[in-house]
Amino acid sequence: MLYWQVLINGVLLGGLYACAAIGFSVIWGVMNLINLAHGSMIILGAYITYVINSATGLDPFLTIPISGAALFLLGFMVQKYLINHVIEGSVFMTLILTFGLDLLLVNMTLLLFTADFRSITPSYAGLGWEIGTIRVPYTRLGVFFFALALTLILSLLMNRTKLGNAIKATSFDKDAAGLVGVNVFQVYAITFGLGAAMAGMAGSLISVLHSFSPVLGGTFTMKAFVIVVLGGLGSVPGAIVGGLILGITENFASVLLEAGYKDAISFILLVAILVLRPRGILGKQFFAEV
Amino acid sequence: MLWNYRRKVAKLYRTLSFGMSVCWIVPILFFLCLSSPVKAEDVIRFGASLSLTGRMSTEGRLVKDGYDFYVKHINALGGIPIKGKKYKVEIVYYDDESDPKTAVRLVEKLIVQDNIKFLLGPYSSTCTIPASSVSEKYKIPMVEANGASNPIFERGYKYIFATLNTIDQYFGSIVKMASEVNPRPKTIAFINENSLAPQLANDAAAREAKKLGIKVVYKEKYPTGTKDLSSMLAEIRDKRPDILLGAGYTEGMILLVKQAKEMGVKVKMFGLLLGPTLPGFVEDLRKDADYLLEPIQWSSNMAWKDDVFGYTAPEFARLFEQDFGYKPDYHPPQAAAALLVYHHALQKAGVLDPQKVRDAIAQTDIMTFYGPIRFNEQGMNIGKGMAVVQIQNGKPVVVYPKSVAEGSLIYPIPRSQ
Repeated sequence: MLYWQVLINGVLLGGLYACAAIGFSVIWGVMNLINLAHGSMIILGAYITYVINSATGLDPFLTIPISGAALFLLGFMVQKYLINHVIEGSVFMTLILTFGLDLLLVNMTLLLFTADFRSITPSYAGLGWEIGTIRVPYTRLGVFFFALALTLILSLLMNRTKLGNAIKATSFDKDAAGLVGVNVFQVYAITFGLGAAMAGMAGSLISVLHSFSPVLGGTFTMKAFVIVVLGGLGSVPGAIVGGLILGITENFASVLLEAGYKDAISFILLVAILVLRPRGILGKQFFAEV
Repeated sequence: MLWNYRRKVAKLYRTLSFGMSVCWIVPILFFLCLSSPVKAEDVIRFGASLSLTGRMSTEGRLVKDGYDFYVKHINALGGIPIKGKKYKVEIVYYDDESDPKTAVRLVEKLIVQDNIKFLLGPYSSTCTIPASSVSEKYKIPMVEANGASNPIFERGYKYIFATLNTIDQYFGSIVKMASEVNPRPKTIAFINENSLAPQLANDAAAREAKKLGIKVVYKEKYPTGTKDLSSMLAEIRDKRPDILLGAGYTEGMILLVKQAKEMGVKVKMFGLLLGPTLPGFVEDLRKDADYLLEPIQWSSNMAWKDDVFGYTAPEFARLFEQDFGYKPDYHPPQAAAALLVYHHALQKAGVLDPQKVRDAIAQTDIMTFYGPIRFNEQGMNIGKGMAVVQIQNGKPVVVYPKSVAEGSLIYPIPRSQ
């Protein structure tokens, strides 16, 4: 019975991981831009939810659109007025820029919210369904479904709309996309905005389950990195698969092996995937090409 | 015109440079006047390297304020009376920038250059471990108040003493309290972060539990920065322990409380190494924080009373707030207590010889507003134990030991929780 519980825990965690990684994946896949400030954007989303929740008592799940909109705006502006200026240059320039942006966000949140750890406890926290000896907590289930829904919406946006086609066209070949009338830099700004919005909304979800502090962004960027490499760059289903694999592996490792090794197991998995299938489980080769 | 202007500038420059040199000379003369004529033997000088800037600066300042509290209050009484003569007290501070390597250099400087014979400890175990090696080398006593790791005391050193309880004593009181309640718990589970202090705390508590006949049914560690403990907690739930003790830092402790509830872990007693008394913890976790236990070094409502000033713990807290403008946590009183140790030892030794004072410190058996202090051979304070607080209706209440308790322990944790 314990193993069923572990499997469910793994799946629920995996959904959240997928949602936290998807924005990172899209930005990387479309622009070949590694957004080192991704984790800090997640934390910023969590603080937006925290502030609204403690001021008005609004349910954390209902703040998702607000943190999404706020982060979209931030991401759009950052890409339009900062990153677009260096995106044509070497990859190091964008790395340095997003690293600086990360420092800026971390210190800004430190200034605003101090380094104290925060968390949100809604009235239904800790309650859940009990099926035999298996427990499925409401908050985790809610987070899982919201994470999947957000990821699906993004997937529909990418595959069924004109904007999505423009984004994909730009990621395949930006010169060709420019020739057929796509405003490449505008598409870049929107893509970064979408990635940031996904990070912010994931942050809102994380605020319900975890504690957060301005300096914790780095660990989320790290997880996103692993998930994206596992699942495949720029691929929405890839992020879901990568997230689920990581979540399930971590949970089984913590029960079957000594729990202290669970991070080691995830990274061994990462290395194995890189050796056996470098483009990721669902990745297509051309996504990552420069 | 231009010529004229240049001359004016040159003149202005000469005036300024003369002014600057006067600016330098006056304070230098002033300090010379101050320092030389005062009879050196009437002042006892202590030295401390503290983390006044850098990542541990918040705590470093709390420690400095604790040391300064003693200095201010003893000098107001005219100083330490030793053999009918009163000695004023002074502390030479240096800022180690929260860096252990700098702390080592500064402690050496205090001993060699400033000729300090009595050292106070820096902040944190990471600084205390190397700094105490320097004082040991020069055979200068160091009474520290903020290094709780056991390795400080396991090197056979003769000149290091600490007022606070070491990390292995943290859970001792909770386990002991558990062995005294009715119905007596039979099983205990441990979970801790894979780093030094939490590991030491849980290892010692597990030994203590075995000694008292409580069976250890689960003992595991999780990696630093983990985002999920749910499966470990599911395993703990299935083992049905009576007590769960979690050791780690804030992030892990909040996760532990949330996920224990999510996974339906139902224990009779739930203790954390730290958290419940930190800012924001109870506020954010709300009623999920209720009934949690935490070991604490000191609390301002304890019934201790010191025999130098005659201050009780609440009086200390009130006077400290008056002097420094904020309510003290445990850092300032344990720092001030280090100077009380010196106070008694200096009186007992009757001379300012570091060797004799060290011997007197080793025989310390005193009462302070921070609690009783008595050292074992390694220099650890075995006079006091950790107290235990329980969160009751969102407020921390001291529940153990009975002699300082403000309320009684709620045990077992009510089932609805």
